[in-house]
Amino acid sequence: MDLRVDGLSHWYSDLEVLRDINLTIPQGQIVCVIGPSGCGKSTLLRLLGGLEQPTQGQVTQVGEPPVGSLNPLTYVFQDFALLPWRSVEDNVSLVLERHNLSKAEKEDRISDVLTRTRLSDFRKAVPKQLSGGMKQRVAIARALSVNPAVLLMDEPLSALDSQTRELLMDDLIDLWTREQFTSCYITHNLAEAVRLGHKVVVLSRRPGVVREVVDIDIPLANRRMSDPRIAEIQQDLWDMMREEAQTADLELAP
Amino acid sequence: MSIFKMTRRVWLANLSAMTAGLMSLGMPTVAAAQDDVVLGALRFTSHGAGFVAYERGYFEEEGLNVKFEFFQAAQPIAVATASGDVDFGVTGVTGGLMNLAEKNALRIVAGVLHEKAGVDGMIVLASNKAYEEGLTSIDDMPGHSLAMTQVGSTFHYMTSRIADEKGWDIADIKLVPLQKVGSMVAALKSGQVDMMIMVPHIAKALAADGAAQQIGKLNDYVEYQISTMITSVENIENNPDVVKRFIRAYSKGIADMNAGLLDPNADPSEKEALTKILHKYVYTDQPYEKAAPSIQNGAMFLNEGAALNKTDVEKQMNWFVDSGLVDSDLTVDQLVDSTFVETN
Amino acid sequence: MADVTNHVDKNGANPVAAPHERPVYFRGGGFRTEPRRFVGLAVFAILLIIWEVGSRTGVISELVLPAPSQAFAAFMELVNSGNLQKHVGASLQRLTIGFSAGSLLGLVVGTAIGLSSYARAGLSPLVSAIFPIPKIALLPLFIIWFGIGEGSKVATILFGCFFPTVIATYGGIDSVDRTLIRMGQSFGLSRWEIVRKIVLPAALPAILSGMRISASIAIILLVAAEMIGAEYGIGAYVLLAGNLMSTDQLIAGVAILSMLGLIVSWLITRAEKAFLGWRN
Repeated sequence: MDLRVDGLSHWYSDLEVLRDINLTIPQGQIVCVIGPSGCGKSTLLRLLGGLEQPTQGQVTQVGEPPVGSLNPLTYVFQDFALLPWRSVEDNVSLVLERHNLSKAEKEDRISDVLTRTRLSDFRKAVPKQLSGGMKQRVAIARALSVNPAVLLMDEPLSALDSQTRELLMDDLIDLWTREQFTSCYITHNLAEAVRLGHKVVVLSRRPGVVREVVDIDIPLANRRMSDPRIAEIQQDLWDMMREEAQTADLELAP
Repeated sequence: MSIFKMTRRVWLANLSAMTAGLMSLGMPTVAAAQDDVVLGALRFTSHGAGFVAYERGYFEEEGLNVKFEFFQAAQPIAVATASGDVDFGVTGVTGGLMNLAEKNALRIVAGVLHEKAGVDGMIVLASNKAYEEGLTSIDDMPGHSLAMTQVGSTFHYMTSRIADEKGWDIADIKLVPLQKVGSMVAALKSGQVDMMIMVPHIAKALAADGAAQQIGKLNDYVEYQISTMITSVENIENNPDVVKRFIRAYSKGIADMNAGLLDPNADPSEKEALTKILHKYVYTDQPYEKAAPSIQNGAMFLNEGAALNKTDVEKQMNWFVDSGLVDSDLTVDQLVDSTFVETN
Repeated sequence: MADVTNHVDKNGANPVAAPHERPVYFRGGGFRTEPRRFVGLAVFAILLIIWEVGSRTGVISELVLPAPSQAFAAFMELVNSGNLQKHVGASLQRLTIGFSAGSLLGLVVGTAIGLSSYARAGLSPLVSAIFPIPKIALLPLFIIWFGIGEGSKVATILFGCFFPTVIATYGGIDSVDRTLIRMGQSFGLSRWEIVRKIVLPAALPAILSGMRISASIAIILLVAAEMIGAEYGIGAYVLLAGNLMSTDQLIAGVAILSMLGLIVSWLITRAEKAFLGWRN
């Protein structure tokens, strides 16, 4: 299933946040969206998944979600959004409870996603006992458990320290290599974008418009930071962003 | 005297004595010093003898400089007398009073209010509902509920006296303690309780409004000493002369009240003069024309010469002791000091 | 720094002399409370001893305050007469019914105010207006509305517990992390599921501390509630003792009330440990 955005604009009362966005997230690809802070990246993601209504334009699902998908458009949040009073397995279970699954099927799904995210040993732990990276893996496991068509990821690594971030990025690449999930990945970190994105969408400062869409056709598994091609793309992206970021930095908060 | 025993007023008295002493050094001595006393009172006609004695200068004649301290209920007057915040108080012979006397804090020194047949006194009321269902006289009381302020209150005692006279078991009347007269009235009006015994000025007003029915008068069955004059043991021991003079002046007020308000042949101009004096203290929020009948309704029989029915006080004391409400160590001589007035 | 400079100056002729050394002194610590066992108990015991000695020697007059031993004697009298169970039983029943009903209603109304704009606009001013009214002032009305039986007593306690619970509940809901709610919505949870599985558990710490307050208010109001035609009850016992100036019984009754408060507080701490274990 693809996700297509047509002529999407958005205002918060008088403040124009996004202007005429056109964009496709093709099945099996990770589309990274980068831009200076306050450019409306997170708003775009909320519009994609229907957590907010666009002022203009629309978001369309093209094709059918995979069989057994309980929640085709599924989010992974920056600050994990785990319920602190529920254990790891119960946090996953939360999003399955309303779907009238048989006990066995529910259990299957939980064990499956926990294995895929290498969390099987921590089923009974509560979020407070877990490191930031583990917490985000729980959140990813929870997202995977509903078998989503598109994963909408809102700066999922930005609350983590840099080493954890590297490790989790490797995890995400492994995961994609195994099961080619579809995702829209919001970040302000260029390194993440060039490591994970099949396409990188650069947004301008507010009101956000699509400045450039960069395709990177090096397979995810083969991308190394030392690769000069990667370094070059990252440098190009930074050149595009630098001015926008500088100007955005000087603006007063709305 | 320990610090804790020394009350605030004693402190103040000492302090002012010191100040006066200092000031008199440079001044000519003032003759005939007045004694300052505080009288704890309720804004009721039944407390009127004190107001009359004050307004007509009887206290002044005795060399007393009286100040009033007003209370909302009788019980705190006893406590304030024990603590020394007031010197004299007029209050019912309650269990609380007896327990304070047992701690040698205060004593009864004179009689004030006495139930007497043929004179206005406590009235027994029935709720409209109970009245319609057949509670029309005192004889019908057993099996009904009766509102009172508290266990051990004068209302409690009055009810048990009626039961005694009639030969009933007090347990046949369901006593409902409601703490406040306002709550008692609310419960009776709404038919939550069947009966209550009430002071005349409130009872008459309720009956006149049709909010309740009068089914009898207490003094048709029981004559007893309702309220008394109390003072602290400290006053009795250290200033017996002040106590004597105070009671003498108060008695003059009593004489005026009985002659001018209760006597059916009272001089109308005297009745009006007394009512006007009382209006300065009672029902002050109402205009005189409206207040006058209420004030006059509230008049009850006062003990001539502040004489005290010690026999009855002892009877009351024994009832409280027998009911387990008062420490059995209490003796009547601890409760009553009969050296100041005539007792019987 | 000045020290170092002086040092060098003084020894200007010999600049290589060993510099003045001293350890960095410790200036952290403090302000951190650690559990200190038995201190509370000791303070309590010392106060009791001073009080008892004061009474025995006559420094504290019996009129001002009865000795602890006298209060204890009054308490034992209550135990031996068998009336203690009657008083405590009657009060506990009123407390339990009034507190549970008041808290439950408060929870429902508080949740409504927390979640619905209409309920908030309509009810929260009403709550603010009625909360501060002293329930004792309404006693005569309560008698007419709820009778002189258990109704008005339970109602007094119920009213007392209702308002703090409402305020604690919607305060707790207001401070629930919005991303958790958005997470629930993003996974397509129903409104009711979000309330039950996300909002209320997240507001539970605030609700429980509200209950701690309302339970204390319930005990405070017990005396007021039992002003209305109560034959038995600790509040009624305390009132009677006050009216009769039996200060020893008064102290005994007040001590029972404070024991009750301690037990309730302990129960709520247990509940917090059981339900809020995830916080630690």
